[in-house]
Amino acid sequence: MNPVGPDGADEVVLSLEGVSRIYGEEVQVSALDGVSMEIRAGEFVSIVGPSGSGKSTMLGLLGILDLPTHGVIRVRGVDVSELSDAERSSLRGDAIGFVFQQFHLIPHLTALGNVETALLYRGLSSRQRRGRAMEALEQVGLGARHDHRPVQLSGGEQQRVAIARAITTQPGVVLADEPTGALDSQNAENVLEIFHDLQTSERAICIVTHDLHVADSARRKISMLDGHIVSDEQLVRS
Amino acid sequence: MAVSGLTARKVRTLLIMLGPVLGVAAIVAAIGINESSKGHLKAKLQELGTDLIVVNASAGFGFGQDPVIESAAVGRVSRLPDVVAVTGTRQMSDIVTVPFAGAEDYYRAFPVPVIATGLDLPSTLEVPLVSGRFLNEFDESSGARVAVIGRDLADEYGYLRGESRTIELNGLQYGVVGVLDYVLLEPSMDSAVFLTFATAMDDWGLDEPDPSRLYVRAPVNTRLVAQEIPTVVSLGGPDGANASVPTDLLDAQSQVDENLNNLTKMMGGLALIVGGVGIANVMSISVIQRSSEIGIRRALGHSRSTIAIQFLFEALVVGVLGGIAGAGVGAGVVWGVAEQRGYTMVLSVVGLAGWALVSVGVAVVAGLYPSTKAARLEPLETLRLG
Repeated sequence: MNPVGPDGADEVVLSLEGVSRIYGEEVQVSALDGVSMEIRAGEFVSIVGPSGSGKSTMLGLLGILDLPTHGVIRVRGVDVSELSDAERSSLRGDAIGFVFQQFHLIPHLTALGNVETALLYRGLSSRQRRGRAMEALEQVGLGARHDHRPVQLSGGEQQRVAIARAITTQPGVVLADEPTGALDSQNAENVLEIFHDLQTSERAICIVTHDLHVADSARRKISMLDGHIVSDEQLVRS
Repeated sequence: MAVSGLTARKVRTLLIMLGPVLGVAAIVAAIGINESSKGHLKAKLQELGTDLIVVNASAGFGFGQDPVIESAAVGRVSRLPDVVAVTGTRQMSDIVTVPFAGAEDYYRAFPVPVIATGLDLPSTLEVPLVSGRFLNEFDESSGARVAVIGRDLADEYGYLRGESRTIELNGLQYGVVGVLDYVLLEPSMDSAVFLTFATAMDDWGLDEPDPSRLYVRAPVNTRLVAQEIPTVVSLGGPDGANASVPTDLLDAQSQVDENLNNLTKMMGGLALIVGGVGIANVMSISVIQRSSEIGIRRALGHSRSTIAIQFLFEALVVGVLGGIAGAGVGAGVVWGVAEQRGYTMVLSVVGLAGWALVSVGVAVVAGLYPSTKAARLEPLETLRLG
């Protein structure tokens, strides 16, 4: 399931090759312009930039929620433009986990039910689904609250449920969009800590943020401006 | 999991289910009530027999006197092929009938029909006697003052079974020899007094034993015989007759019911369509409200078709539950009406299942648009990335 080669840490999980994304037909807006980058297994990457710099577009493309106007996106080496919607969806479900700023939990499902949503349509029995979802909830420290609905949970807890949902499929990369943006500093710190704990040699973490503290906690920081990558640096962690 | 979207919004689910429920219930009830009442009519027709012809004399040139059918004509009718029995009757006028002397004041206000009749009336009408016997050859030849009374009259007079009793016709005492059971085709006979033609001539001034009405039983070619009778009676002369098959009226009645039934079915169909539009409408709104859920499911790897199937499945569940509930409600209405009107409930299980399936079909078709809409939602637009 996981693309771990013999040299695990160097496995390319996601890659963009000369990718552009242009919106609109008559008035064309280029949100991303000829970007190339790779994310390898085990990396902790942050993507920073001001509003309109193209980082959200980049996240949509990395998560293959969107397709590029030009260029090639590869997930585990597969060119996604050649896949059907169903194949692309299946690949997305297997290889990529998502965490959003607004959590996006389904309100009428319990914490466990929300995590299980990610495991649907994968040929798992409901017992297997439940077991794996429970495992993920315990990993983020919410095992005891598995039967609570989102409204019964705090913002930080909801985000942890969302993280559990993102990792329960054991994806090669977790893409997070401003995961601490809706949280107070204490909860933000907790969530960031969980992300660090989740990063393994087999799993990459990629956080899109404009919070410099979050960005600087990564090991690799990509800065964007006007649809281009302006810097891509490895950070030395203190 | 798949129906969590429905169970999470129970009131809304119940409301959108109302359309299919009402539609199916209306159709099932319309068909069921019609079938049950038709079954009732059919049973009634069976009971009455569809082979009885009633012939009424119609006025020719003889003004000022009641039209009659001459005895010779009665003979001609009885010799027609396919005719198995003929009985003539004639209603007498100006006879006050009372159960005993001294009751005139009360009973004058309620005239009792007095009918001179042939001797085989019970067999021609296929009506048995409740008690005693019918008028016979001896009564006819002897001119005995005996009478048979209808069942309602017997009840009214407090006549006891087998009791020797007389009734008074304009002061003349007649011995009651029997009570005729209910005559469904001629309810007026239930409160009538039957005499022989002989006594009608002896006591009431009838010149000839000519009936004014014939009851003719013809088990085959009933309608054909009915068409022939007027000619056979008049032989082209002025004295005419009208022949009719009374059960045709009941047939006509069931046709009227059929029209009403079709109207109700159409209304039910309309309710189903409106219900379908309601489902499409509410589900479309639901798709918008749940767009973030759809977006997240897409992000979690659910394909467009999975999303479409999920919404279609919700419509299917609404259709199935609505169809079953509607069939149940409809069957309940049919049962209630049948119970109230004394019908035997006629309800086809295949029909019930069929209309429930129609509801499922309507719901699925109604669900097509919202589910396509859900499948087409772009996850990026619904997730509002920061």
